[in-house]
Amino acid sequence: MFNYIIRRLLYGILVLWGVTTVVFFLFNILPGDPARMLLGQRADISSVAAIKKDLGLDKPVAVQYLNFLNDLSPLSFHNVKDKNSYWYLNPGKYGNPALQLSFGNTALVLKKPYLRRSYQSKRAVAAIISEAFPKTMLLATTSILLAMLLGILLGIPAALYKDSPLDKFLLVFSSLGMSIPSFFAAILMAWLFAFVLADYTGLQMFGSLYSVDDYTGEVYLNLKNLILPALTLGIRPLAIVVSLTRSSLLDVLSQDYIRTAYAKGLGKFRVVVFHGLRNALNPVLTAITGWFASLMAGAVFVEYVFDWKGIGVVIVDSLEKYDLPVIMGSVLFISVVLILVNIFMDIVYALLDPRVRLG
Amino acid sequence: MISVENLSIAFGSGPDKLLAVDDISFHLLKGQSLGLVGESGSGKSVTALAIMRLLPPQAILETGKILFNGKDLLRSDSKLVAGLRGNRIAMIFQEPMTALNPVKRCGAQVAETIARHRKSGSKAIRQQVIELFRKVKLPRPEAIFKTYPHQISGGQKQRVMIAMAIANKPDLLIADEPTTALDVTVQKEILDLLNDLKAEYGMSLLFISHDLGVVARVADEVAVMYKGKIVEQGKVKQIFSHPEHPYTKGLMACRPPLGVRLKRLPTIDEFLEGNGKYTQKEQLVNTSERKQHQQEIFLREPILSVDNLLTKYPLKKNLLGKPTQYLHAVDHVSFQVFPGETLGLVGESGCGKTTLGRSILRLIEPDCGTIFFDQKDLLALGQKSMKKERQHLNIVFQDPYSSLNPRMSVGQALMEPLQVFGLHRNNRKAKVLELLEKVGLKAEHFYRYPHEFSGGQRQRIVIARALTLQPKFIICDEAVSALDVSVQARVLNLLNELKEEFGFTYIFISHDLAVVRFMSDRIMVMKDGKIIESGDADEIYLHPQNEYTRQLLAANIAYSVDGRF
Repeated sequence: MFNYIIRRLLYGILVLWGVTTVVFFLFNILPGDPARMLLGQRADISSVAAIKKDLGLDKPVAVQYLNFLNDLSPLSFHNVKDKNSYWYLNPGKYGNPALQLSFGNTALVLKKPYLRRSYQSKRAVAAIISEAFPKTMLLATTSILLAMLLGILLGIPAALYKDSPLDKFLLVFSSLGMSIPSFFAAILMAWLFAFVLADYTGLQMFGSLYSVDDYTGEVYLNLKNLILPALTLGIRPLAIVVSLTRSSLLDVLSQDYIRTAYAKGLGKFRVVVFHGLRNALNPVLTAITGWFASLMAGAVFVEYVFDWKGIGVVIVDSLEKYDLPVIMGSVLFISVVLILVNIFMDIVYALLDPRVRLG
Repeated sequence: MISVENLSIAFGSGPDKLLAVDDISFHLLKGQSLGLVGESGSGKSVTALAIMRLLPPQAILETGKILFNGKDLLRSDSKLVAGLRGNRIAMIFQEPMTALNPVKRCGAQVAETIARHRKSGSKAIRQQVIELFRKVKLPRPEAIFKTYPHQISGGQKQRVMIAMAIANKPDLLIADEPTTALDVTVQKEILDLLNDLKAEYGMSLLFISHDLGVVARVADEVAVMYKGKIVEQGKVKQIFSHPEHPYTKGLMACRPPLGVRLKRLPTIDEFLEGNGKYTQKEQLVNTSERKQHQQEIFLREPILSVDNLLTKYPLKKNLLGKPTQYLHAVDHVSFQVFPGETLGLVGESGCGKTTLGRSILRLIEPDCGTIFFDQKDLLALGQKSMKKERQHLNIVFQDPYSSLNPRMSVGQALMEPLQVFGLHRNNRKAKVLELLEKVGLKAEHFYRYPHEFSGGQRQRIVIARALTLQPKFIICDEAVSALDVSVQARVLNLLNELKEEFGFTYIFISHDLAVVRFMSDRIMVMKDGKIIESGDADEIYLHPQNEYTRQLLAANIAYSVDGRF
């Protein structure tokens, strides 16, 4: 088990390196010039060149790539003489490293990964992410939990009373839920619940986790705003979980060991919950892990429609402005989260099903 | 104790109606055991499930009563029946692999049965379960209590099932093919255990099996079922010494006999048509003729020669996923096969015989050694030339249910090899129809799908598929193990007829020594990846040298019908 986790983490680092490389070359080889974007209409050759030098964009792509990796890696090499590179002469950049060893002009440094600064706002990318990401996380987790709970609760009766009106309704619902695009669902939900039915629901068409009070200027937590985006984002996973729970439970209930359980004289409730559900949930869990990734992608649209200031909005904004450090930082951060979620789910999976050998 | 009266159970209705159980009656006294014998689909399992009231919802009860201690189980309140299940009436199922819940510990699964019907504390129940495990002779009962089903062997799982069934000392124990999925040596132990427990608890036992030899070991009385009806019923000895019904006669005759060597096996159909005979003089193989034929064969250049073959599977991996420990499934095996002979390969499950068969075809890549087929080293061939060689080498798999693609019609499945090799471009269909006829199927089966066929017919399709390319060499990997004895005889005869006609060379893999001996010229016995004994089939069968071969043989003889009566 321990070996397995270590191995998965090592793989994770490998994947991360791959993502870094792809993202870096994608944005540095594609046409587009951040320096020009930064200056806008009034760009002249000399100021573009100055900004390029400032951002390090005048160097060859390979050198830029190595510098980028050096900034990201917790273990990095630096030239003591180069002001821009060495942490000690540039404490604002790297913070205080945990360890440094010097060999002549070269220093080996152990530090926190450095995600650079936004070209546009000059704020640290790490700060931007740590402000936006928790909101996305909250949105995604809420909707996945909602989908899981509701989905399993609805999937069980659908399987037990197969071909009943309830089962048929759920079937229609889940095929609808699976096929509706999230941006459309978002607009539909906002219109229906926050415009047509606004008097009854008391919900707003858009708003983020924190609102500013119009009179006092006070910032306060507004959890009500979470409801619509979480519901919208949860529709598709909910539909999937319902149909998956149904089919998986149907499959499990036809297994031999279910017959064995009945042969012991157990009642239906005990057989379904203790013998059936335990086995039926594994594929559902696997699907949910997969969905967590798509949820992050779906969040970009939903956040935009509801103006939920999460990482999706950050990515879209920075894409428009060609703000490379923010884009790359956000993508890498999401990758880290997904890798960790996957490892976590694998462990849960092994706990639920002892046949899964982690070795 | 229990009496079944005029029971009829049907599946479906209208013109599709199928009577699975057709007006059967029997009764079972306290402490008595009844063996219910018949092939798959004869209605024996349906009868057992009806007693447990566990019939699938599609089953329709037509007529009849099942009286248990005077109460009609079929018309009792379902709560009351649930109270009897696992308590007064218990059942052991056929497949120990799938009958236990894979995500629950063995101990907890047995404890649940006790907790359902008895009021006692969890500690007391735990003690009881461990005591039960000791009773069914499980090694290290405390440790098994905590293991999951996948961590123990098939025989051990069946012992856990038995412990579960006898947990509340039932009055009636139903055992539905409890040993069919197990190796012969394990089978013997389980049957002895059932006999002991029956005597100790004074239980009645309803024992269901397709194998007369197995039933003979445990039952006092036998009822033979055929197409939903009980065709013959009586004391074991009487039935085995004087079978009346042609079906019973056929069932007894169609197993390869112990003493003599037959050219072909009598089949049940022949008996049902009224012209079956036990051992026909003209069917006996002439020993000197056989010897002469073999000498001729062994003078030829070997068609296949395997040298020092090793195939291993990783058992443990280190941090970087590199294997550190291996299981040697095929452990430095060398042998030769001569053109025209049948080489038998015997061994129990897990001995590496299937891996060996697949390694020869490179369906699993061996790790070292050489395989010379027709003077060509198969392991040295590239992808393309190996593919070409596959024309001449083919395999018949064990399970005809999973080795046919359910979405391909029989015709498509049989034409596929011809398409792959670009043969008979213009008359593929004709070729396939010809083959279907050869294996005893009809032209109209060409457009049918595998699920429309019975197990025996499917195995014929698989055999036909192996024949499409007219290979020189066929490996039969437990080709008849999944089939009923009656069907088994027909398929074995078919394989022999085909060999006669086309002059194949076979490697015949099986766990059943009697079947292998019937088929083979020479036999190799395999254990733990190694070949521990090899030689002339009759020689090994009659005078085994190795201790393990003797054990296998003893277990085989114990279940033969003609050896006992």
